[in-house]
Amino acid sequence: MSIVARLEEASLRPEQELDALIAQASGDGAVVSFVGIARSESKRGPVERLILEHHSILTQQSLDEIAVAAGERFDVSHVRVVHRCGEIAPGEPIVFAGAASRHRRAAFDAADYLMDRLKTEAVFWKREVGEDGSAWIEPTEADYADRERWG
Amino acid sequence: MKVLFYGRLAEAIGPELEIEARPGCSVAELRDRLAAEHPHAAPVLRSKRARTCIRDILVADDHRLAAADTVEFLSPLSGG
Repeated sequence: MSIVARLEEASLRPEQELDALIAQASGDGAVVSFVGIARSESKRGPVERLILEHHSILTQQSLDEIAVAAGERFDVSHVRVVHRCGEIAPGEPIVFAGAASRHRRAAFDAADYLMDRLKTEAVFWKREVGEDGSAWIEPTEADYADRERWG
Repeated sequence: MKVLFYGRLAEAIGPELEIEARPGCSVAELRDRLAAEHPHAAPVLRSKRARTCIRDILVADDHRLAAADTVEFLSPLSGG
């Protein structure tokens, strides 16, 4: 079992993270990954940039805890979570969440679980900046309900 | 006592306050006081999604505060 949980202040290259995960998973049969990307439009209009504020200690702790929990809960051999912070331009990746396993179902479930928990429990505060200022973005009730599916 | 705020609470109140609080007061009492002094931030302070931390550990509303504590109020989290 290997766990990677990393906070990236500058850039996130999903293809590199996927390559690393596939290389680690050489004896496994499945790799599943998810990439979250900053949107260029919101209900308020065009988005100029996204700002992800973080906490100097609690943010990394939350990434570690969520990644380890996924590794313990599902029959996976590798878990990899990389999350951006700071300013993110539309189209740039925000988060990579991936898992490797012997059989595909565990990797799908682990990636799903990782994202449901990251959306609601990773220690970040997200702001969208557009033409008429900035707005805080918080999880929807659907996001919280998705998190509750896992108990 | 030092009180730190994050996210929309930091925008509404400021990132940091130094306040005189009675030693032994609870997190809930401190929150009520802050909500009264900063009514525009009260809905977020009282949100069930907001969290309170001391020494990087989440604490419950009945946690009792020491004079030397730094209390951190986290607005609802939003990752991913």
